[in-house]
Amino acid sequence: MTAAVEIRGVSKSFGETKAVIDLDLDVPTGSLCGFLGPNGAGKSTTIRMLMSIIHADSGNVQVLGTSALKAKDRIGYLPEERGVYRKMKVGGFVEYIGKLKGVRRSILRKRIDDWLERVELPNIRNRRCEELSKGMQQKVQFLAAIIHEPELIILDEPFSGLDPVNARVIGRIIDELHQQGRTILFSTHVLPQAEQICDRIIMIDEGKKVLDGTVSSIQSQFDPRVIRIEPVDKNCDLSKIVGATLIENTNKSDHLLMRLDDQIDATEVLRKIVLATPVRGIEIVKPTLDEVFIEQVARRRGTKAADQVREEMSHV
Amino acid sequence: MSKTLIVAWREFRHTAMTKAFLIGAIIMPLLMMGLFIVVMPLMMEANTTPMTGTVAIIAPDDVIQEFQDRIHSKENPNAELIEQLPDIVKQDPLASSMLNQTGSNTTNIILQPANFADLEHLKEEVRDGDLAALIVVPNSLLEDQTEEMDDRLEVLIPSSFSPNHTDLLSSAVAKSVVDVRLRRLGHEPSAMLSMVRRPRVAATRLAHDGGEKADNEAARRIIPMAFMMLLWIATFTSGNYLLTTTIEEKGNKVMEVLLSAVSPLQLLGGKILGQAGVSLIMLLMYGGAAIAGLITFALLDLVPISHLLYLVAYFTMAYFMIASIMAAVGSAVTELRDAQSLIGPIMIILIIPLALWPVLSEHPNGIVATVSSFTPPLIPFVMILRITASTETIAAWQIIMSMVIGFSAVLGMIWGCARIFRIGVLMQGKPPSFMQLLRWIRLG
Repeated sequence: MTAAVEIRGVSKSFGETKAVIDLDLDVPTGSLCGFLGPNGAGKSTTIRMLMSIIHADSGNVQVLGTSALKAKDRIGYLPEERGVYRKMKVGGFVEYIGKLKGVRRSILRKRIDDWLERVELPNIRNRRCEELSKGMQQKVQFLAAIIHEPELIILDEPFSGLDPVNARVIGRIIDELHQQGRTILFSTHVLPQAEQICDRIIMIDEGKKVLDGTVSSIQSQFDPRVIRIEPVDKNCDLSKIVGATLIENTNKSDHLLMRLDDQIDATEVLRKIVLATPVRGIEIVKPTLDEVFIEQVARRRGTKAADQVREEMSHV
Repeated sequence: MSKTLIVAWREFRHTAMTKAFLIGAIIMPLLMMGLFIVVMPLMMEANTTPMTGTVAIIAPDDVIQEFQDRIHSKENPNAELIEQLPDIVKQDPLASSMLNQTGSNTTNIILQPANFADLEHLKEEVRDGDLAALIVVPNSLLEDQTEEMDDRLEVLIPSSFSPNHTDLLSSAVAKSVVDVRLRRLGHEPSAMLSMVRRPRVAATRLAHDGGEKADNEAARRIIPMAFMMLLWIATFTSGNYLLTTTIEEKGNKVMEVLLSAVSPLQLLGGKILGQAGVSLIMLLMYGGAAIAGLITFALLDLVPISHLLYLVAYFTMAYFMIASIMAAVGSAVTELRDAQSLIGPIMIILIIPLALWPVLSEHPNGIVATVSSFTPPLIPFVMILRITASTETIAAWQIIMSMVIGFSAVLGMIWGCARIFRIGVLMQGKPPSFMQLLRWIRLG
């Protein structure tokens, strides 16, 4: 599969601050790729370089097989900091952005009406942007980002500030655009969200790539080899199970956790547990992206930094 | 259509085709002009009511008689003054209306001669409104005036008396006293007046090439200022729009959306071009109104066509200088109040031509005028003033040099502005200092 985005050895500094350091990454064509990392990780800087809003100090950025500048009209971009011309009418604003992206006015007229229906905002074409609620404005901005039917769509925190109903509408459209074969780069620091909708994940921290792969490959790569058991009898004795060690259950919940020994087949241990005691449920624990990311931070920056990131994520 | 033109059209449309622009920049000035030309004279006419009532006068008989004749005369008391005014003022409808109104001799009063012994009683009658006024002319005022005297001619009026009527009475009685003095010395006042009337002066400038040109004071003073103000109004109004729209785009976060579709240079170019259209409209509107006024009073020959061509050239220079400065400042800040600290020092420099107007106008070929007409960003404002104020043709090399330096400065300023703009539009938070702006130019 060819890459819609190819970044090779890109660095970008602002004065003394190094925002992106020797970054390499590929976004496969047709993928829905999560671009993840905490605040200040370098996501927005990287995206701005993809949009040729700013230029890399070094390295090479290729978008849709050409330079970022030449590909500008083939990219749709919803920035994190949303904005509309408050005094402009909705139709006029979307039409203006569409025209700047090279679409003819005659085509835009019909397309805008169709899309307003699809995002459940009918009959607002002639209303001024300032008259809309924040959520409605956000949908108008989303519309402006995709009205020119781009091949690559970059969405920076597309769900922030949306209520669940509107988030579902936007999520459905993102899914449709993905099904049509468009490449979507979805930037967020809400990792569970990305885990749900993305088929590929790129994670950066302090300007460097720390993870890159499909969701399942990342989960298997960071498999904690832990089995989660919900026994019928909470006082059952599983200490005699060979090949797994009971992890102290500190949160006093109804389930127990057992870590598999090295080289031990998980299915064999599962079978032994089921034979040893009746259970309501039993599963091999998959790592969440949050856990994977925190582990990565802990490896690179130490446990103190990881605790800080965990604290930040708990507030999201 | 290129992206720059799309941006330019939006900028123009959302500035010039709005109610705020139509009202603030077109309708209001036109209304103001209409107010001065049409409504004010009508209002003044309506306010000038004839003076009525009884005026008591304590004065020698010949003064009373002279005063009686004067207040009932149909001659405008200001006729002498009006005659001395330049033609351009007399031809102005507003000025002539005001002169005629203030001097109109519309009185319908009865004079009541009185004695000094009744002074206190008469004052009471004035207070009570039974008398319109009381005039007291001491005899001493009719004697030899070679030495300074303490005596004064008194006009006593009620507290609510009209100021126009007070002027009318005061002027008439004072002139009557002078006339009586002359008569007592055996002179006819009208003959004396004609003897002291100053002759009109026709100054003619003799050019080196042998030609002669009438010196028109009004043209030499008013028209250069009008040209410079025209440049100021047209360029600074649209420059201000450029500043506010750029700050607005940064403030409402639409800038990043725009930059995802156009380059900063395309955006800057479009904004400057769009506002150039706004500026041009203002120039045509105000300039057109001024020319219409000149045509009305048959004074169009005061403005040669070459001056209009220079106006267009220096307007272009001035607009791009101001626009590039305003766009750079607008891109660097996120709030209008932050812009004031950066615009302030620039405005102080640009206000120099206005402050130096009397000097530049009086000595358009002097050292101050010549040096400042080669100094960006003063060039367009000073040079248009020099060209229109100078009674001699400005040397061609000076005009060419001002154009070369001016348009080179325009290119340099646009280049520097573009570098500030590229960085500034993505900056948020604390506004930069001048040193930071210089650093942006270096880095951009």
